[in-house]
Amino acid sequence: MSENNPWADQWFKAQQQFVDAWSDMAKSGGAGDGTSQSDLWSQGFDMWRRATEGRAQPDMELVMRKCMDMTKEYFSMAEQVSKSLSEGANPVEAVNQWLEQVKLSLQKFSGMPGFNGAGVADFMKQWFTPNASWQEMVAELTPMNQAFWQMPGMNTSVFNLGEAIDPLGRVLEAPGIGYFREPQEKQQRGIQLALEYQEANFKFNQAFLRVAIESIQGFQQRLLQLDEETTPKTMRALYDLWVEISEQHYAEFAMSEEYQSLYGDMVNRLMTMRKHYSEMADDFLRALNLPNTREIDTMQERLQQVRRDNYALKKEIREIRALLARPGAKPAALSATSPAQSKSTQRKPATVNKAAPKAVTPKAPAKKTAAGKTVARKTAARKAKVTRSTAGA
Amino acid sequence: MSNIPFRSDQVVEELVQFNKNLSKGVKNLLDAEEISAGVTPREEIYAEDKLKLYRYQPSTGVVQNKIPTLIVYALVNRPYMADIQENRSTIRGLLDTGQDVYLIDWGYPDRADKYLTLDDYINGYLDRCVDIIRERHGVDRINILGICQGGVFSLCYTTLHQDKVKNLVTMVTPVDCKTPDNMLSHWVQQMDIDAIVDAMGNLPGEMLNWTFLNLKPFQLMGQKYVSMVDIISDEKNVKNFMRMEKWIFDSPDQAGEAFRQFIKDFYQQNKLVEGGLKIGEHEVDLKQLKTPVLNIFAEQDHLVPPASSKILPKLIGSKDYTELSFPGGHIGIYVSGKAQSTVTPAISDWLNARSK
Repeated sequence: MSENNPWADQWFKAQQQFVDAWSDMAKSGGAGDGTSQSDLWSQGFDMWRRATEGRAQPDMELVMRKCMDMTKEYFSMAEQVSKSLSEGANPVEAVNQWLEQVKLSLQKFSGMPGFNGAGVADFMKQWFTPNASWQEMVAELTPMNQAFWQMPGMNTSVFNLGEAIDPLGRVLEAPGIGYFREPQEKQQRGIQLALEYQEANFKFNQAFLRVAIESIQGFQQRLLQLDEETTPKTMRALYDLWVEISEQHYAEFAMSEEYQSLYGDMVNRLMTMRKHYSEMADDFLRALNLPNTREIDTMQERLQQVRRDNYALKKEIREIRALLARPGAKPAALSATSPAQSKSTQRKPATVNKAAPKAVTPKAPAKKTAAGKTVARKTAARKAKVTRSTAGA
Repeated sequence: MSNIPFRSDQVVEELVQFNKNLSKGVKNLLDAEEISAGVTPREEIYAEDKLKLYRYQPSTGVVQNKIPTLIVYALVNRPYMADIQENRSTIRGLLDTGQDVYLIDWGYPDRADKYLTLDDYINGYLDRCVDIIRERHGVDRINILGICQGGVFSLCYTTLHQDKVKNLVTMVTPVDCKTPDNMLSHWVQQMDIDAIVDAMGNLPGEMLNWTFLNLKPFQLMGQKYVSMVDIISDEKNVKNFMRMEKWIFDSPDQAGEAFRQFIKDFYQQNKLVEGGLKIGEHEVDLKQLKTPVLNIFAEQDHLVPPASSKILPKLIGSKDYTELSFPGGHIGIYVSGKAQSTVTPAISDWLNARSK
């Protein structure tokens, strides 16, 4: 295998190192050189990943990365319980000690400026996945790069709008004067909006932290209630139980008024900020005599309406042609299109073209007549052959 | 606390075994080929803008239903969920039980599609596809099968165009969008949808992904990848896992105006239930819907809770209403083995009985 797959050598080498380290730890009753086994595993994996980069399909690479991240978190949980067991604690004490440690470490972060889940025990990072993935998404969807958030007074330590604005106070409160008054005010407003979003994001994260701590308490309580049948018999079963309890606590939180309010506020503030910066970008483009979003929007909106009208007209033409093609119906159809006989004109499209835009087709009368229904059926059956439509036709 | 029977060496042994499984699986992941989307042969019969209308190759050797069935999928995610793999395909199941199946693929809207409204989708694209199928088959009315948001579109369309729809099947379709157990609905109530659309233009697929994954973040972003290690030593399992993974993250952007109206009218104001819904110039009053309806929902659906769909018979005017409850989730109703043996045959039986 190794001759054909050098990457496999790398993998097995790293994994052997991991297995040996775990075995040593078990034999030595938890004593080791201080290196975390899950870290060791992770380092081995990273080394191997670099060696195999580009070998797998991009989708696979992504899945492998996720799998490895989650595996590391699972290993981290197992390692901590296993360590307590090795040090002589009984299983119940080991799990409890581990949970207490985690709880204390989380409490340490409570109220900490800019807390985003960094620094918590690996396996608890899942609690902050919504926040972390939110940050990643925001980074992709907003034009502000990292440098923006690290401007003086704008960094991740912001957690209180009042305090945040304070160092920026002079900048934000300076009155605009002269020719650049308007752009200056827009800049100030932009920074203000960014700070407001930062604050909303911070409150959202803090609420997660609180619920994460509550979930640990919930986990401890559940462990007290387990009977012989429901007690986890393996580390994996313990992990699955932790997932189940975490998900329950999360769901309760996510369905609360508090979550609705915090999440809504965070999204709304982000969008307000983004819109403001888009408008500033539009101003900049206009100054350079380049097309901007507002102008393109106007053109697109007009074009879309023209397309709607066009489809409706084409449909009406097809229907009229179908009527004209009916043997013996020609005089009636022709007379129906005559402005002099408006009654027939109004009845025909009402039954045939129920959903056509009002602007093009007269509104349907209150009741369908039997004759109208017949026209509708026959017209549908005789429609001209459909040809492929083109955009903007 | 009960007696947890762990020993340190057992834990180590368990992790070592886990790591061995992972080692075997990693090779399969590295060697896996690119995953294809959709498996059943089909022919494109119409295209308009980014929309494509497909007809699936009918099965031979089965009695054909003369009334064709059009599948209307959601704008959210991609329609190959209904045809995800050879032995887990709702479409294959429908073909094998005599249905002539068409499907609308809405495509991936971009900025040029920002001003597409629900009226454009329902009374425009959808109506034109229905007309094309009616023309091809020389029939006045066809069957429609609406999935999730596509079910909402189908309900609106059928109500407005009953002369073109013979039978309507709705699958995991949100009707009452404000049931107390609807997390998605709960989240959007305080969102300023106008601000979102005005700021973003189209709603990015990434935002939808974030939303769906965070309905169950521990299972969908964590446990799933740990559990994956149990199955990836088998190449087939890797392929199946990756097909699903591809589908989950394959989220088209949502045309801004359509998204604005959908969330405001359906999720914030619940107009299908409360009334007052208008698609373009036309009011949608479900009481006017007299077409036979088969309504299928999933009992463990976390995206569309069963109660959201089960209200339908109270709202429609149809006297021919049938309900099918599936013991599974929003995705399982298409991809699980149980769904292939129960849901798909039930749809065909129901359609065949009403398509003579």
